[in-house]
Amino acid sequence: MKRTPFTRGLSVFWWLMIAFLYLPLGVIVLYSFNSANSAAFFAGFSLRWYERLLGNDQLLTALGNTLALGVASSVIALVIGTLIGYGMYRHRGRKLGWLVALIYLPIVMPDIVFGISEMAFFITMDREFGILGPSLATMIIAHVTFQIPFVALIVYSRFVGLDPTLFEAAKDLYASPAQRARHFLLPTLKPSLIAAFFLAFTLSIDDFVISFFTAGPENATLPIYIWGAIRRGVSPEINAIATLMILTVAIAAVISLLFNKEGRRS
Amino acid sequence: MTRTPLTAAIALTLGGLAFAGTAQAQQDDKLYLFNWTEYMDPEIIEAFETKYDVEVVQSYFNSLPEMTAKLNAGGTSQYDIIVPSSYYVPRLVQSGLVQELDKSKIPNLDNLMPEFADPTYDPGSAYSVPYQWGVSGIVYDTETFPDAPKSWSLLFDPEVTGDQPFSLMGDGQVSMGAACAYLGTGYDCADPEAWKAAARLLLDTKHRNTFSGFTDGTPTLQQIQRGVIRAGVTYNGDYLQQKQQNPEAFETLAFMVPDEGSEMWVDTMMIPAEAPHPALAHEFINFILNARIGAQLSNYIYYASPNQAAVPELDAVLTQPPVLPTDEDRAKLAFTPSLDGQNLQIFQQLWTEIQSR
Amino acid sequence: MAQPPYPPARQRRTLSPDTRHLLWSVAPGVVWIVIFLVLPSLYLIGVAFMTNGPYGQPQMPLSLESFRQLAGFGFLGWSPGNLYTLLRSLWQTVIATGLVILIAYPLAYHISISPRQWRAIMLLAVVVPSWTNQVIRAFGWMNLLSPGTPLSQVAQFFGLIGPNMGLYPSNFAVTLGLIYNFLPFMVLPLYAAFEKLDAGLIEAARDLYASPVRAFWHAVFPQTLSGLLAGTVLVSIPAFGMYVVPELLGGGRAMMLGSLVAGQFSGGSNWPLGAAGALIMLLATLGGLYAMRKVGRRLGGGEEVVI
Repeated sequence: MKRTPFTRGLSVFWWLMIAFLYLPLGVIVLYSFNSANSAAFFAGFSLRWYERLLGNDQLLTALGNTLALGVASSVIALVIGTLIGYGMYRHRGRKLGWLVALIYLPIVMPDIVFGISEMAFFITMDREFGILGPSLATMIIAHVTFQIPFVALIVYSRFVGLDPTLFEAAKDLYASPAQRARHFLLPTLKPSLIAAFFLAFTLSIDDFVISFFTAGPENATLPIYIWGAIRRGVSPEINAIATLMILTVAIAAVISLLFNKEGRRS
Repeated sequence: MTRTPLTAAIALTLGGLAFAGTAQAQQDDKLYLFNWTEYMDPEIIEAFETKYDVEVVQSYFNSLPEMTAKLNAGGTSQYDIIVPSSYYVPRLVQSGLVQELDKSKIPNLDNLMPEFADPTYDPGSAYSVPYQWGVSGIVYDTETFPDAPKSWSLLFDPEVTGDQPFSLMGDGQVSMGAACAYLGTGYDCADPEAWKAAARLLLDTKHRNTFSGFTDGTPTLQQIQRGVIRAGVTYNGDYLQQKQQNPEAFETLAFMVPDEGSEMWVDTMMIPAEAPHPALAHEFINFILNARIGAQLSNYIYYASPNQAAVPELDAVLTQPPVLPTDEDRAKLAFTPSLDGQNLQIFQQLWTEIQSR
Repeated sequence: MAQPPYPPARQRRTLSPDTRHLLWSVAPGVVWIVIFLVLPSLYLIGVAFMTNGPYGQPQMPLSLESFRQLAGFGFLGWSPGNLYTLLRSLWQTVIATGLVILIAYPLAYHISISPRQWRAIMLLAVVVPSWTNQVIRAFGWMNLLSPGTPLSQVAQFFGLIGPNMGLYPSNFAVTLGLIYNFLPFMVLPLYAAFEKLDAGLIEAARDLYASPVRAFWHAVFPQTLSGLLAGTVLVSIPAFGMYVVPELLGGGRAMMLGSLVAGQFSGGSNWPLGAAGALIMLLATLGGLYAMRKVGRRLGGGEEVVI
């Protein structure tokens, strides 16, 4: 690549934008170690906000809720989404426009409309029939609903990438559908199932709006807890929790980078 | 893989999920208390837990709309005690979110001061028992405003506020009342014409460059400590409690009741319609009304007590301003009007309008 | 159960094994989405046409009252508040999307001409911040833009804001927050478009056309249009419905449609009005998607917009 003023300018712009992208996160990490309760100046290094976190029962409950919600919803979505992906592939010769439209619905619907329509629905079902009262269960239901399409699309695209003759071979090799599923489909799908699970899990952890509106009064997840803490105005502790969550993301980023390299080598 | 077990499994999951929400059995020995933030002495909770051998689970809200939203979202069957302010009491009663009290289980009701025993917002105290009462007023920085007038003009008059950042109360009815008071129609204005004038004032105020936002009472104190604002609206007891905890930050922060009039409120204990432990909830209300516990509560959270029997044991600080306003100030205080029907809808529209423009 | 859209071709009592296979594989998901998303959405649309009860719960009879209110006709005559909110939402969406496009083009191009082994890492670097929760991201900007922070002091120095004030809360903070949130959504599809582009083409164009602007406009822009369209969909639709950023960074001055809608439900004040607002958002979203698809078909040679 020639070094021209143009490309040099691009490079400068690139670094500026990287700074823009990481500055807010960096400031959170920095101020989580601030000994003063201030966003304006850094008074000195301290772990006092982290110490406060440890004794915070509500926070630990929120962490538990977040993980339970993420795992439960991802597992259910994985099963349902995989079936759809498989069905879509096997029957791709048919007119499945209605199915595609249905699957895209959760993706394109604005979060807030999604969350509020489910909230209104759950509250009304609870009032009229005594079922589906907002709780951890309704949150799981809502999360599964927006995870299904992503799982289905990942699995579907994996199938499309396969050589169609493999299916014929498998048919000859294994007599029953159960055997085929066990010895051919599942092993072939394994990498994309893992990827789909993690994507679903990430989507769940990352969601705030839909959780916020479908949660029962006492089912705060970490993002909901942080939202409440911001509303109450107690900032230094939020910096500390947020730093821990940013750290988790950073680790995930490194892992995905390693996987990426691994994937290209093989 | 046959289809029957799979379908059955999914049907089971679905069914399980659908009923999990309601099946959360709560026959355990717990009391679910839904209270304002910073509004309870942990030692009282411990004493109650020891005396009745139960666990008290506390959760918190910052504003009455927030509390109502949680009640609507299934909270009526998840909390045993809620602590709404007086002007929300009729609304909660009429929409069926709370249950009538069994007064035979609350003998300590006799401890209440006569003026709190039969309040206008809940005739005969059929649904609510007073918890604490207090005053909304202005907290401001005395360094920024050395000659602050004892008036809402500190917030509403651009000449007085100058170029200092300030906030108004997040609860629309309180902000509207403050604007009415400043305009001379009284804090407890409930007439659409007065509201319209107040709404115009609030809109002009909101569009001033130094307006920082509509902030709830307790967060306002956090913001003023951090220097985000220099004046705002908060409650007398919260101000005093945080001042005792953090004297340095509050050295230059003062609290005042504007002369044009302001809010006096009574926070009450109520039992949601489908509270899981109503019997225990009655015990809790009775416990709080105990003379010694009542005094301990006020001594801890720095609010005025409606409990006559508790008066002898109250700390000196609770018998003087800002906790107990001077007679002169008290004469200017009014309850926030309780709205319903068309009046409520008119108010909601005006408030939405203020927020939108 | 959703009805299969094709009629049974021949008179048969049972479905063919093939159809049964399709049904059992897609049925759980279809049933799930229908029960837990289509049904609630239909219910919400129904609520929009109901009357507001005394404490905000929907009631019969059916009416268009909530749409009248949404248009600004209340008990006290017409007022423009909701219209302001709608226009502000549109304006913020257009501004944020436009700025995101301007920023994302050079970024995506820069990545595409970088050494191959760096590209995945560079893409990751752009995407990773969006993996953190949006509440945390908004909170980061609250930290940076409060009164007294260096950025606010710089802005004060240049007279952009008054003394003692912060850059947050403000409309500016909301725009910034939106750009921050959605930048990766534009960089990714644009990068994909650039990568397909022949690098020599850009060089040639820069030799051919005197100004870089013309080179970009005539050679690069048409080739990356599909990526641009995909990015625009990915950015503008969620930006229009954004709730977290305006709530946290706007401070009561920058109310957008999402907050208007949410407020009608969370305060328990007026479900039908909130539902009517949500319906408008839904229609805007579907309309936007449809329009993009049409434009995309005509310009992009029938290439599907991939989400």
